Amino acid sequence: MSSVLWFQGGACSGNTMSFLNADEPNVVDLITDFGLELLWHPSLGLELGANAQHLFYACARGERPLDIFVFEGTVMDGPEGTGRYDMFAGRPMKEWVTELAAAASVVVAIGDCACWGGIPAMEPNPTDSTGLQFHKRDKGGFLGPDFRSKMGLPVINVPGCPAHPDWITQIIVALATGRAGDIALDELHRPQTFFKTFTQTGCTRVQFFEYKQPTLEFGEGTRTGCLFYEFGCRGPMTHSPCNRILWNRQSSKTRAGMPCTGCTEPEFPFFDLAPGTVFKTQKVSGVVPREVPEGSDHLTYMAHATAARIAAPQWSKEDLFVV
Amino acid sequence: MTAVDLFVSPLGRVEGDLDVRVTIEDGVVTSAWTEAAMFRGFEIILRGKDPQAGLIVTPRICGICGGSHLYKSAYALDTAWKTHMPPNATLVRNIAQACETLQSIPRYFYALFAIDLTNKNYARSPLYDEAVRRFAPYVGSSYGPGVVLSAKPVEVYAIFGGQWPHSSFMVPGGVMCAPTLSDVTRSIAILEHWKDNWLEKYWLGCSIERWMENRTWEDVLAWVDENEAQHDSDCGFFIRYCLDVGLDKYGAGVGNYIATGTYFEPSLYENPTIEGRNGALINRSGIYAAGQFFEFDQARVREDVTHSFYEGTQARHPFEGETKPLDPKVGREQGKYSFAKSPRYEVPGVGYVPLEAGPLARRVAAAAPGAGTHQDADPLFLDMLNRIGPSVLTRQLARMHEAPKYYKWVRQWLDKLDLHESFYTKPVEHPEGRGFGSTEAARGSLSDWIVIENGKIANYQVVTPTAWNIGPRDAAENLGPIEQAMVGSPIVDPDDPVELGHVARSFDSCLVCTVHAYDGKGRELSKFVINGTV
Repeated sequence: MSSVLWFQGGACSGNTMSFLNADEPNVVDLITDFGLELLWHPSLGLELGANAQHLFYACARGERPLDIFVFEGTVMDGPEGTGRYDMFAGRPMKEWVTELAAAASVVVAIGDCACWGGIPAMEPNPTDSTGLQFHKRDKGGFLGPDFRSKMGLPVINVPGCPAHPDWITQIIVALATGRAGDIALDELHRPQTFFKTFTQTGCTRVQFFEYKQPTLEFGEGTRTGCLFYEFGCRGPMTHSPCNRILWNRQSSKTRAGMPCTGCTEPEFPFFDLAPGTVFKTQKVSGVVPREVPEGSDHLTYMAHATAARIAAPQWSKEDLFVV
Repeated sequence: MTAVDLFVSPLGRVEGDLDVRVTIEDGVVTSAWTEAAMFRGFEIILRGKDPQAGLIVTPRICGICGGSHLYKSAYALDTAWKTHMPPNATLVRNIAQACETLQSIPRYFYALFAIDLTNKNYARSPLYDEAVRRFAPYVGSSYGPGVVLSAKPVEVYAIFGGQWPHSSFMVPGGVMCAPTLSDVTRSIAILEHWKDNWLEKYWLGCSIERWMENRTWEDVLAWVDENEAQHDSDCGFFIRYCLDVGLDKYGAGVGNYIATGTYFEPSLYENPTIEGRNGALINRSGIYAAGQFFEFDQARVREDVTHSFYEGTQARHPFEGETKPLDPKVGREQGKYSFAKSPRYEVPGVGYVPLEAGPLARRVAAAAPGAGTHQDADPLFLDMLNRIGPSVLTRQLARMHEAPKYYKWVRQWLDKLDLHESFYTKPVEHPEGRGFGSTEAARGSLSDWIVIENGKIANYQVVTPTAWNIGPRDAAENLGPIEQAMVGSPIVDPDDPVELGHVARSFDSCLVCTVHAYDGKGRELSKFVINGTV
């Protein structure tokens, strides 16, 4: 049995809602079959009365063993270093985070906000929000670059806005079944098993990408083409399994015609959503994408694109996802 | 007389924490203060950004109703940019948002609300053992299916929007997707599965058609006793249990309501405007105050910050709205006590008043005279108000009543999709404009006001149902709706005031609430946590 305490800082609860969509295991399976002991969660379980705070303090002091501390949302430092933009159970949330992170065997950051600050930390970051061990791409965050949990691990980052339920449940099951050693992390502390691949891996539009055929309009326009060229899709530059492990067991944003916004990367939302950057590919000289697929460069990209367009068969210029 | 102040912390969250402070005299709540304890600054973040930034940012205000945030932020841009909406696009938006609400209804009921019905305070009820058998968290015979199957309707959302939560697939001029045949057939199959395996099997114990025949409270009571299946359904049981433990007796609230309405008749909203909005709605808007119906007009909304942790005291219309946060410590010295603003509405002849938002407000609006042929006309909840008054039970039943209603609508909208027609008309991205977009999230009226200048956002204000309901006192010291609803609640056990949890949760506000108990001399008696309302 693994004990889990799940807190929310500057959060929207989107990761919790995503978690509740889980299947195999679903949330009830996790608790009844896997013996997960959910000590407290903001929206699940019975109220605990005065006992809730006693429990939190008991965990913080190490009197009650805490196996997994899950944190969702940003850690807020504002206003002026007080943390009072986020008060929880009588004190600034950041004080709870300091104590519980130190007491837990494993610390898991769920979602972009907890990983690297997410949307609340975007310019001008009015609440002085940050992630548990990263601020955007910079290592450090609230707990500092050298933080290690009791088990000797850094904060495990499960990013995404929100994180897919499988990225949460499978990691919890791995931790709960003694497979912590199999969780290899990348340089951003993300489990490699999910975040080595690209969002584009498995995208149904990848053949259009291969022949450089763009989607030119939303709606019926998305019956053909790739969203990378005009609509700012970040699928080739973003690491996630969104097209390997489908959302809600059905689809993904890119399959449904929505450009990937890169929400598993620390820079999300990209360009701070400055005017002209939303759902629009940023280009050099009005033609070449400013950002090319990871590992490529502009010259190589243009040479490849020219050849690909010449090679493009007729079907790649026609509707594919038809009625 | 014994006076007790109760401070419950935290009391149930999704987009932050809510502290509730109540004074109890002779076992009854005599006053209440709701204190939202978290600030994230979304309206500040949106200033100066791309006009479409709200499509990405506002869904992240609340993970439980992000699809509703997307819906109204898209309409705010539609009205600002004067777009054309192909009928298919209106239908897809309707379908997606209604599916989000169909998810919320059982998830909220079992995971958040019904577990309180197993509180030991009710152990004397003859129905208590049955309540525990059904509703106990994780192991209850209805809890598991209700919570797990709540993920099904948002599978339909994912088919159209790619994922739920947090898609941004609704854009000015339509939607990003163009569904194929199997997208529609699969959506129908998923909804049928959900209806068969939860809505009819567990909740109603009858066909949705039979339930929808109920037009009065008397009809509902007769329905409960009509046969064993209905009597023993979760709905039948819930009504019987509420009447047994007295959930029909408190939690009344302000008795005045706001619905801004949602879902558009495609042919009546091809060119979205603020002025044309009310008439095009299927789920109607309306104000019901002092026993009278009034048409909703966004120009009459103000946000008061007298007791909110923001600079100033002036009530402003959202187009002129400001968000300048204060350190709570500084704010308290000025008599402020919450990060929620206090939305108020100027009712003609009545003045600025707090209004309750949510399913009960929608159901009351649906009973107003003068419905168009495309609009929801349903007298049940006005009858309930007149017969038994507002209460925890009335509010809960209003929410649950929408499950069969919305299911039927979604099925009709799916049937109306013309897969060979357009889903999007590319808009002109005007550098200047003002827009208003609104909808009904599961938990009530949700609106955006956007001002675009020089091709970027000059002002963006969001008024959530949670703000309508949990907002603090205003300049005239009128209590907010949940504050008012707490007043009069009996508290059987000050160490475990489950009654306050019922009241707070019946509003389904997006906050973990913290209730703090104090006695009349300011001594803290108890403090307890009510886990989050979704």
